[in-house]
Amino acid sequence: MDTKEENLKATILNIQRMSTEDGPGIRTTVFFKGCGLRCSWCHNPESISPKPQIQWIENKCIGCGTCIKTCPENALSSTPEGIIINREICTGCGICTEECPTTAMELLGKFWELNELVEEVVKDYAYFSNSEGGITASGGDPVLQAHFVQAFLKKCKERDIHTALDTCGFCSTEALDLLLPYTDLLLYDIKQLNPELHEKYTGHSSQKIFKNILYIRDYILHKDRQLNLWIRTPLIPDATASAENIKAIGNFIASELGDVVNRWELCSFNNLCRDKYRRLGIDWPFNDTQLLSREFLENITAIAKETDVNPDIVYWTGATRVEDSEDETITQNKNPVQAI
Amino acid sequence: MNESASAVKYKIKEPMGLSPRITWLRDYYFEGVNRKWNNEYTVWTTGTPWDICYEEISYYIVPETYTFLQTFRSSMHQIAQPVKLHDDFWKWSLPERRAWFIREVMVNYVPQEILPGDLIAGARFNLQASRCWTKKEAKARDRLIYGKKGARAKMKCFHDHGYGNAGATSGHLIPDYKKVLDIGWKGIYEDLEKKYNSMSNREQKSGKGAQLRAMMTAAAMPRDLAAKYAALCRRLAQRELVPSRKEELQQMADNLGRVPWEPAETFHEAVQSLWLTHMLVMSDENYPGPGVSFGRLDQYLLPFWEHSISNGMDRELGKEILKCFWIHANTAYDAMIRVGGNQGITAGFGQLFNLSGMGPDGTDMTNDLTYALLEVIDEMTPILEPKPNVRLHRNSPDELLDKIIDMISSSQGAPFLLNFDERSMAGMLREAKMAGIQHLINENNVHDYASVGCLENTMAGNDRSGTVDINLNLLKAVELALTGGKDLLPFTDMMTGKPEKIYRDGANTGDAASFAAWEDFWKAYVTQTKLIIKKSAELYEASEKVRAAFSPTPYLSCLVKGCAEKGRDVTQDGPEIRFVTVEGVTFATAVDSLLAVKYLVFDKKECTMAELIQALRDNWAGHEVLQAKAKNRAPKYGRDDNYADEMARTVMDLWTDETWKYTTKSTNRRFRPGMLSWNYWVGDGYIMAASPDGRPKGQFLSNAICPSNGADINGPTANANSAGKALGGKAADGKGDWNEYFSNLPNGASHTITFNPSLLRDQEHRKKFKAFLKGYIENGGSALQINMIDADMLREAQKHPQNYRHLLVRVTGYNAYFTSIGRELQDEIIARESHNQY
Repeated sequence: MDTKEENLKATILNIQRMSTEDGPGIRTTVFFKGCGLRCSWCHNPESISPKPQIQWIENKCIGCGTCIKTCPENALSSTPEGIIINREICTGCGICTEECPTTAMELLGKFWELNELVEEVVKDYAYFSNSEGGITASGGDPVLQAHFVQAFLKKCKERDIHTALDTCGFCSTEALDLLLPYTDLLLYDIKQLNPELHEKYTGHSSQKIFKNILYIRDYILHKDRQLNLWIRTPLIPDATASAENIKAIGNFIASELGDVVNRWELCSFNNLCRDKYRRLGIDWPFNDTQLLSREFLENITAIAKETDVNPDIVYWTGATRVEDSEDETITQNKNPVQAI
Repeated sequence: MNESASAVKYKIKEPMGLSPRITWLRDYYFEGVNRKWNNEYTVWTTGTPWDICYEEISYYIVPETYTFLQTFRSSMHQIAQPVKLHDDFWKWSLPERRAWFIREVMVNYVPQEILPGDLIAGARFNLQASRCWTKKEAKARDRLIYGKKGARAKMKCFHDHGYGNAGATSGHLIPDYKKVLDIGWKGIYEDLEKKYNSMSNREQKSGKGAQLRAMMTAAAMPRDLAAKYAALCRRLAQRELVPSRKEELQQMADNLGRVPWEPAETFHEAVQSLWLTHMLVMSDENYPGPGVSFGRLDQYLLPFWEHSISNGMDRELGKEILKCFWIHANTAYDAMIRVGGNQGITAGFGQLFNLSGMGPDGTDMTNDLTYALLEVIDEMTPILEPKPNVRLHRNSPDELLDKIIDMISSSQGAPFLLNFDERSMAGMLREAKMAGIQHLINENNVHDYASVGCLENTMAGNDRSGTVDINLNLLKAVELALTGGKDLLPFTDMMTGKPEKIYRDGANTGDAASFAAWEDFWKAYVTQTKLIIKKSAELYEASEKVRAAFSPTPYLSCLVKGCAEKGRDVTQDGPEIRFVTVEGVTFATAVDSLLAVKYLVFDKKECTMAELIQALRDNWAGHEVLQAKAKNRAPKYGRDDNYADEMARTVMDLWTDETWKYTTKSTNRRFRPGMLSWNYWVGDGYIMAASPDGRPKGQFLSNAICPSNGADINGPTANANSAGKALGGKAADGKGDWNEYFSNLPNGASHTITFNPSLLRDQEHRKKFKAFLKGYIENGGSALQINMIDADMLREAQKHPQNYRHLLVRVTGYNAYFTSIGRELQDEIIARESHNQY
């Protein structure tokens, strides 16, 4: 692997500016592609694979057939249901996405050079500096591209930009060693405390994740530089959003992590990703699952606050069901800018 | 679903905390046509058969009225009531006749009325008055208006062929109201008298002498009208049974006994003086509220506020007086109340005032009156007039920012415009440099700039900059470059249905199909841009010279420094600072079209120039793939993409540099650039042919400095950064026009960004929004309007308009009730709401 800084490249899904839900202030969130876990509810299925992928966005398509003609692998075909991507054959080369007149064919995951990325995020410096904002490396899980992310965070620090790292912690401690010194805020997922359920819903054992959070705790306690830690728990119906799990996580935070945690966010289930699954040709077990009700969220937040955790650090975020309407719409509490 | 069930779905801003008095006045106002009292135009004539009571030139910038100009002219005359003229009337000069006529009508013909509970006198002011022309004058003037080469035909031709519009219109300035408060009309009168008496006999007999006599006549009008209102208040007080109201009426009579003739002392007097003085400007100009703006209200009213507060005035009473003032300002809309209950979209009334802003040396000028005025706005909103514009800068206090963000979060859009001092002042200093008037605008006084109409920056009390007088479609130059100087499509007369033969109206820049390189096309575009600016200057002259010769406004001239000194009217070369602003319309559409031509024809060779031109002639029908590429693949301004924004900057430099070269011949007013698109970007979208950016004919053009609709896919910060760069950005060496800031547009540029209300859902997010505003101060443009609307809510409002009557949205610097505007524009606003979708 070429580790010279100027030659470093990363596969990035999206860069979202004026992001308001990924840490303090106004932020530019960089979504790195690729994730180690396989959470069944994943809201960003396009971020799981580390490789570039193609998707077809139906309502942008004018049916001109350009993509079919340009595909060097013959992986595309036109059917009454629209363009079908044969994912066995598609190499994700992206030629069709470059030729598509309407951008209906979209390449998920583009290569970015380090300097190019830094120049992009620095454009909003005026907004960061007025809000304790900055950049958030998110994903997927940025730890999978730790060398690049390290260089990126380091460059941001050199430009006086606040850095946040959003990870599920499914990585080696070596990866953490690369990243923690350049991170101002760590957004760390703790999803399920029960090891069997964790494995059932995320496809992997939680051992490494819990080992890493203790490693991070010790890092914070023993370093004199400021590193804030936010724990984030997705509230997924039937998978994580049980009183039992929330109590267990709360008590774990209180007993094992204590004062190093600055905030515990309960993130409500989001079903806006239904279209994403459909476009990627994946069946999603949560396809028919409704958004959580506001009442449920308030109750479970109350439960979280009743644990030994400092109640002042408990927040909930995300969308809730509209109760008095037949169709499910988003209430005031939704993200102002829709995250991928 | 029945209507009542859907009514509660979204919360709409309602007025709050209003006293029974204000509640009644406000509710009464909104009864509209059902009101017994209103401020509808009354029309007054000298009684001569050739009389004209309607100055159509004021409406040359309102294309919606073109069809009715002749109708208005004759119908106004038909319904006009005769005024008994002074025996010497026809011996006087035109400005003297006009000054006397307006005064006679306002004092002795138009009834004086006080609405129940009102604390401010001065009710009716909307007039259409005789132009006071002799037969000879009327004939001479008509010769300049009518005929194939007349001003009207020229104006119509310019508009029909998609160039835009131009005309010498009313208002759009900040009269020297501060002077009236400080020295009273008496002081102004005495000053005129002194100037007149110091003239030689010969000078007194000249036009200069006549102008000063006319201004003296006009300067006595507020005194005479106040006397009438004082008498009325006294009569009402005598009859009044409720002691508290009796006292109020007595107080009003006392106030009117002093102001506006004498300097104001108390806050109540100051507001009374201000209102009467202001409403008579609208009477004088025969136009309701056309950007006649108040300037820095919280600065020049502050001494009176502080005086009264320290003498025991209850702060709430001070606000109550202001609220009465608010109601009065809204009655401007009564002018043609029976024509349209639809207030807003076709009403370009912008009685604007500024709040806060910078003082000398970057200090902040926010004060208690600033907050009191913000409270008044908050409690009265939704309401249309007067229009607030809050000035922000690097040292704006957090308390102010928090207050305005609170207000934004509880309204559907910000109930005010925001102006950004650093960028605005850079523009004003550039103007001073370009026009060589640094003695009038410089680093020591530029902080006292203020905005008129919506966001158009000028100085106050000595400046007429004609801020909406020329509205030029920059895109037209792209069309002419494609065709070598001809319209892409033949113009079809709506009345006859006959298409006109296409002729060469622009410059002959050659056959675009033969251009070998992008540079050739750019050269043609440069030539055509120069040409359309020249054409707009010629067109403007046609109406400017008519106004200067035939339509003096001597009353307004008393309130603009320079007029008395020179003995020249404000419609002539009276004002110390005088510009004509060319408002560049369709900026982003033009920039995106240039980018698309370069991308499609030269860089990617997706098509030939001939194919592109054919596609535009066919309105993209049969060329959908090419259109899709133009829309989706070609670069666009507004994404903080340096490549595209560089093109925006180049286009900006080109047209603004060219604009500065022109001066009106008849009045010696220099041209200056700005970007306010009022609603032209909507209407002209149906006139202008399809454009290379993928836009078909019939779709809206871009608005002011905003990116094309849907092009701002990288969100609000990218959008703001692009606007700042297009205006000139910042100097790397710190040496800009004002500190490091540059601005090509002294007038400023209208910028609208729509946010989802959830961005302001809690304190944490409000802080983020505050950071956005602070970032905008650094990187953005000169003015910002914030819409805070959920697309779902708008769709709901489309479905159930009766439940969303008060849903106020802002489009290009003026307010409109969402449910009262056309379906197309509603759809446009809904589409605009989503930043992330094209």
